[in-house]
Amino acid sequence: MGGWVGEGNPVIGTDFVRLVGTLAVVLLALPVCAVDKYPDYPVPTAASCSVKAERAGLTVGVLPLENLQEQKTYFRAELTPKGFIPVFLVIENGSAADSFLFDKTNIGYAGVSGNATPNGASRAGEKMAMVGLGGLIAMKLIANATEVQENILKKEVQSRTLSPGASTHGFLYIPVPKKGARDTIHLQVPITKAGTSETFVLNLLF
Amino acid sequence: MTLPNRRSPFIAVMLCLLVLPASRLKAQDTGAAPRADTKLLLKAALVLSPEFCATKTKKGTWGINQETFEIGKAACVELEPALRDAFSNVVSMKEAPAPESDAQVVLTPRFVDIGATQKMGAFSDRELVVLVEWTVRDKAGKTVWIETVQGSAKHHMGNSFTHGKNLKLIVADSVKDMATQSASKMAASQELRKVTAVKSTIEKN
Repeated sequence: MGGWVGEGNPVIGTDFVRLVGTLAVVLLALPVCAVDKYPDYPVPTAASCSVKAERAGLTVGVLPLENLQEQKTYFRAELTPKGFIPVFLVIENGSAADSFLFDKTNIGYAGVSGNATPNGASRAGEKMAMVGLGGLIAMKLIANATEVQENILKKEVQSRTLSPGASTHGFLYIPVPKKGARDTIHLQVPITKAGTSETFVLNLLF
Repeated sequence: MTLPNRRSPFIAVMLCLLVLPASRLKAQDTGAAPRADTKLLLKAALVLSPEFCATKTKKGTWGINQETFEIGKAACVELEPALRDAFSNVVSMKEAPAPESDAQVVLTPRFVDIGATQKMGAFSDRELVVLVEWTVRDKAGKTVWIETVQGSAKHHMGNSFTHGKNLKLIVADSVKDMATQSASKMAASQELRKVTAVKSTIEKN
């Protein structure tokens, strides 16, 4: 005969404490649910990406998110059936002295069928499209789900300056066929040295 | 006599559970980028074009839940005062200044996009996210710094009587947040500090 039963009949105070306890648990659980709803994609190092390119101390790595289940985990939506593939991009400036400008609006892509050049350099006649509006279009395709749209926007990689030792990351949304296998994608990432007109292009094939 | 003794640890645990999320939120707030202590000793021209100031974004479906966010109007009010915290001198103008002007850097903002959630309940909090891309050029017209700044705010959705007021509040607060963060990032920028150092060297010589 111990514990609450042995103390006699429940009193009003006990019920109040239980009510407060339940409320506390509910209040605690709510933010936890909100945090887990759109988890952040784990950020790899650029060097650990299977597709990467390096120049002047700057390394760019990409990871295409092909798996629909993974798309559902991070976006709560399957983007490929809507005609977009989310591609995680990591850029690291390993230079000790130079700053670089990454302008998202200048990134180009092209579908490469079969005979891609091994180093990903542009081939004659290859038409590059800009990915600048990819996120915007992907958002519009997911109608009536404003939280999903906002998450797509928040996770998109954005233009920025990479100071020595700095890095940036985020998703690009690249158009692909809604059904069937996609072509190899050729991604061109132009980078400009800050305060100069020196621009070089990093090419990636995946 | 035994009942209060048994209750006390239970109440203490419950209080801890209630306090923990609040302290976690506070920790997140202080996680912002450190602000530089000193202003950049530069004369900055802030280009607020009529197109930028007139930027409006519509969200939702026409006739059902469409909302118009007048972000440009709010930004053109908030930006100049906020950037005075980052630069020793800021002058706003409608178009980029001529190369012979005395501006040492030209600051040009561009709206990337906005994201707005919509909720059914009048008292449900919804979020507005404003993304602005900054391009900073030096006197020679070379780009020295670009950065995308995200401002956000949360407010009630509001009912049919309070929705308009809440809409204005969420726009004003998210734009204010964007403006404050813009100033903070500019003040902390290594590249803009370098421009200040070059300018000081030229003046000394």
